[in-house]
Amino acid sequence: MLTIERLTRRFGDFVAVDSVDLEIPTGQMVGVIGRSGAGKSTLLRMIDRLVEPSEGRIVYESREITALKGASLRHWRRDCAMVFQQFALVDRLDVLTNVMMGRLDHMPEWRSLLKLWTADDKAIALSALELFDIANLAANRAGSLSGGQQQRVAIARALVQEPRVILADEPIASLDPRNTKVVMDALLRVNRDFGITVLTNLHSIDLAKRYCDRLIGMKAGKIVFDGAPRGLTDAVVTDLYGLEAADVIEIPAAGDPTPDEIRAAWDAERAREPV
Amino acid sequence: MSVLVQMSGGPDGPMSTTRKVRSALGPWARENRRELEKRHPAVFAGSPTNRAITVAVVLGLFGLLVFALWRLDFSFARIGAGIGQLAHFLTLMVPPSSGTWARFWLFLHSLGETVAISLLGTFTAAVLAFPFGFLAAKNVMTQRVLHFFTRRGLDTIRGVDTLIWALIWINVVGLGPFAGILAIMSSDFGSFGKLFSEAVEAVDGKPVEGVASTGGSQLARIRFGILPQVLPVFAGQVLYYFESNTRSATIIGIVGAGGIGMYLTEAIRTLEWQQVSLLVLMILVTVAVIDQISSRIRFAVIGERRIET
Repeated sequence: MLTIERLTRRFGDFVAVDSVDLEIPTGQMVGVIGRSGAGKSTLLRMIDRLVEPSEGRIVYESREITALKGASLRHWRRDCAMVFQQFALVDRLDVLTNVMMGRLDHMPEWRSLLKLWTADDKAIALSALELFDIANLAANRAGSLSGGQQQRVAIARALVQEPRVILADEPIASLDPRNTKVVMDALLRVNRDFGITVLTNLHSIDLAKRYCDRLIGMKAGKIVFDGAPRGLTDAVVTDLYGLEAADVIEIPAAGDPTPDEIRAAWDAERAREPV
Repeated sequence: MSVLVQMSGGPDGPMSTTRKVRSALGPWARENRRELEKRHPAVFAGSPTNRAITVAVVLGLFGLLVFALWRLDFSFARIGAGIGQLAHFLTLMVPPSSGTWARFWLFLHSLGETVAISLLGTFTAAVLAFPFGFLAAKNVMTQRVLHFFTRRGLDTIRGVDTLIWALIWINVVGLGPFAGILAIMSSDFGSFGKLFSEAVEAVDGKPVEGVASTGGSQLARIRFGILPQVLPVFAGQVLYYFESNTRSATIIGIVGAGGIGMYLTEAIRTLEWQQVSLLVLMILVTVAVIDQISSRIRFAVIGERRIET
């Protein structure tokens, strides 16, 4: 159980996350939605302590996360993996070494700095890579891979940490539709096969509804929706996204103009000849 | 091996589904290690040979060091004996003093001259080397012959040390700070050309492609695609050389090309140890001040970029 109490983060006068209370039971797949700037990323980064909270606390199974320092903070980061929008891989290192980064807090430091991976660690890394069908790329440089492959490497790195929680910050925002499905399937698999709690920020309401057990809607740093995906009505989406609602979900209405009409109106307004 | 996971739903009440999930990744992978080794022999076998090579190279280098020390008559005994002498000199150096106030003002004036020599020499060299940094970079200069001659030309200039340049310029323009400026300018021109070109070769190609895609000319690509990327690196290098040259300008002074070095040699030659320590302290303070100023300038150019911990 991950418990968040009155968690707040200010950047100067701007309140990014405003007194958020949240309880996430183990094994849930949770999607965090809301327009950009709603505080989704800051919330996730605070849970991994990449951003320091201004107020409030985070507790994971009686461990006070907000009070951790030094080695115990590193242990928490091992238990709580992070997947980034821009992958955050080391481009110049090969895939296997990148995945091995997930084992860093499992081995003595001298061993990792000399790259003396044990056979067991290699087996764990390879089994994670096999899980996502990219074991054949183990010797390739991470920078030479496609976006979808890189994000799968990043999820493999998260998985070999043997974490209890995986945080994914817009994991599919820089991917094409096919890779979006591959990566979301990978996250779902991590959640279903290993019982790891997954907390992910998503732009697409459609995907969030399809993949998540529970959705959390954020607006101006506050939680305004928390419930099962079927509870997310068009009215709630409109409240969450305001004028952008039409961009994130298809709400066809009878009176809506067709694309042809839109273009005609555009041209007429500017009295422009069709080119 | 498997784990039970308690599942629960949204805030409208727990769905209370207890699901059986596959075990954690670690134990499963350890159990299946044999098969993984069979499927990916290269990953498991590849490293011992590499490791042996690494160990051999490190041992070889260490052996070379030991051989070189032996061949060059390195002796701890002689260092030990000399240390006593050094301690004696140190006692002669305190307190640092210039003797008379008039001499102190003379020192201060020549220190200013040293800083001026270094400043003018370094920045002239940077301005002159700026275009050559691009000409000597492989990713900008596709014309092979010109690239080759630019690089070898810079090598040649760099191959002559600042001190030799000082002796050459003294013969051309006579004794004094002007020769010092020319000496620093000449040798640093070669160094900057090389350092700048290497910074240019390491830039990210994507922004350059972006500028090219808009129909930008070769010069526009350099101006907007490459320059913003390399400017912070250039600034750091130039400022470091300014600081380093303030130190080496003292050496230039020794051969008569102006600055504080002249007084330093004179004091050492006449065994005025209190003056020596004062001069060294003055140089140290100047270098520290330059370092402070240059790090301010560097961060202003780079912009505040912090690595989050």
